[in-house]
Amino acid sequence: MRRNPLPALAVAVAGLCILLPVALLAVWSVAGRWPWPELWPESFSLRGFQELFASYNHTGALLLSSVGLSLTAAALATLVGAMTARALAFHSFPGKELVRFGALFPILVPGTVLAMGLHTVFLRLGLADTLAGVVVVHVITALPYTVSILTDVTQACGKNLEEQAAVLGASPARAFLHGTLPALAPGLLSAGSMAFAISYSQYFTTLLLGGGQVRTLSLVMVPYIQSGDRTLASLYALLFVGSALAVFAVLEGLIHLWTGGRKWN
Amino acid sequence: MKRLAPLLLLLPFLALMGLLLWAMGCALVQSLGYIPAFGLTELTLDYYQALFTDGTLTASLMLSLKVAFLSALSSTVLGTALCAALLALRRGRRGALLLVRLPILVPHTVTALFLIVLLSQSGLVARALYAGGLIDGQEDFPSLLFSSGGMGMLLAYLWKEIPFVAYFVAALMGSVRDTLGEAACNLGASPVRAFFHITLPLSLPAIGSAFLIIFAYAFGSYEVPLLLGSTLPKALPVQAYLEYTHPDLRHRPYAMAMNGFILLVSLLLALVYAWLLRRKLNAGRVVQ
Repeated sequence: MRRNPLPALAVAVAGLCILLPVALLAVWSVAGRWPWPELWPESFSLRGFQELFASYNHTGALLLSSVGLSLTAAALATLVGAMTARALAFHSFPGKELVRFGALFPILVPGTVLAMGLHTVFLRLGLADTLAGVVVVHVITALPYTVSILTDVTQACGKNLEEQAAVLGASPARAFLHGTLPALAPGLLSAGSMAFAISYSQYFTTLLLGGGQVRTLSLVMVPYIQSGDRTLASLYALLFVGSALAVFAVLEGLIHLWTGGRKWN
Repeated sequence: MKRLAPLLLLLPFLALMGLLLWAMGCALVQSLGYIPAFGLTELTLDYYQALFTDGTLTASLMLSLKVAFLSALSSTVLGTALCAALLALRRGRRGALLLVRLPILVPHTVTALFLIVLLSQSGLVARALYAGGLIDGQEDFPSLLFSSGGMGMLLAYLWKEIPFVAYFVAALMGSVRDTLGEAACNLGASPVRAFFHITLPLSLPAIGSAFLIIFAYAFGSYEVPLLLGSTLPKALPVQAYLEYTHPDLRHRPYAMAMNGFILLVSLLLALVYAWLLRRKLNAGRVVQ
C-alpha cells in the first residue's frame, strides 16, 4: 500500500508552529540589542537573568510559593475528585445524573462570571484577598477534569481487591488503603498533574480573588508582557513553562516509581 | 451507614458546587440591578437592555461572540484534522502526542507573548518580509494583533486549542479507529471513506464537547483580549471588568449583566448540545 505523506506533513507543520515560538522566546531571553529590522540580535547579554534573579525581585520565593499554591490546589482538587468519583462509580443515589452534570459545570461557566460572582460571595465570607479564597477558586476550576479522569479510573479499577481484603478480615479503611489505593495511584497522579497545570496557569481568578495580596508567577509575568520588555517577558515565560514541566516530570517519575514497571492503564 | 456513604463522599463536592451556585446567583441578582448596599433596590432588566442599545456595549458583545464562535469552530475542525493525522502516523506517534501536550501547559498569557514576538509590526515575520523586500517598513505590515476584528485573539486561541482538541479527541477517535474503522477497511472501504463514514461520525460526541469548552472559554476569557485586543471595541469580559472596578459602584450591575449574558449564552449552547447528544444516542439505540 502506498504511504500517504499527508499525515506526517500535517504533524510536522503543527510541531513547527508549536516549537518555533518557544525557540524565539529563548533567543529573546538572552538578546542584548535586537532592533528592527534585524533578523538576529546584534548582541547578547545576561541582563534579563540578572534582573530576574536580582534580590529585590524575590523570584525564587515567588516560584516556590506559586508551585506550593498550585500543588495544594491540585491535591485538594484530586482528593475531592476521587471522593466524588467513588460515589459516582460505586453507589447509586438520587440525583446521580445531576452530580455527573454538575461536575462538568465549572467548564461551562466562563472565567469572568466565576471570578466576579465568587468575589461577591467571598467578600461576605471574608475569603476575598486571601490565599484560601484563591485556592478554593482554583479547586473549582480544576474539579471537572479531576472528576472525569478519576471516574474513569475508579470504574476501571473496580472494587474487587478491596472486597477480597474485606472478606479476609481487613477493616474497610485498611482494605481501601492496601487494596484500592495502590491501583488508583497512577490515576490520582495524572489527575493531579492536570489540576496543577490548570491552577498554575490561572490569571484572572488569582487577580480578582487574591486582590493583589496573593502573588503568583502567572500574575507577575503579565505586566512584563504588556510593557514590551521582551527580554524579561520571555524569561518569565520560559521560567513558567520550565517550572511547570519540571513539576510534571516529578509527578510522572512518581507514577513510574509507584507502579514499579508494572503495567497500568 | 451504607446509605450515608455516598452523601459523605459527595460532601466536599456539594460544598464547592454550593459556592459556585451562590456566586452565580449573586451575579444574576446584581445584574437585575438589586444591590441594597449601593442603594439599588429596584429589579430591572435595564442593564441587559443596555447591552443591545448602547453602541459600545453592542460592539463588545458582537466582537466577543464572533471571536468565541470562530475560535471554537476553527479549533475543532483543525484539531480534529490534527488528531486524525496523529493517529495515522506510523512512526513517532508517542513523541508527537507528547509535543501536542505542550501547549496545554502554556498559559494564554504566554501565547500572547508568542504572537507579539512573531506577528506584531516589529515581530519576526514582519522583519523577514522586510528582509525579503516584500514590505517597505513596519507600517506596511498589517496590524493583525490589536485590530478591532479580533484577529490576534483568534490566533492565540488557535495556538492553544488546536492541540487541545487533538489531545481531547484522541482517546475516543483512537479506539473507534482501531475497532470499527479497521473493520470498515477490512470490508473494503478506503481509509478516507472509513474515516469520513465511520470514525469521524462516531467521534462527534468528543468533538462537540471540545467545541463547547472552547466557546465558553473564549467567550469569558479576560487575559487574551487584555493582551491582544483592540482599545475599541473591547471584548465583553474586559469591558465587564472595567465596569466591575469602576469607582462609581452603581456601575456594577452593568458588569454583572455582561456576565449574566455570557453565562446564559454558554448554558444555552450546552443545553442544545446535550439535547442533540441525547437524540443521537437514542437514535443509535434504535439502530442497535
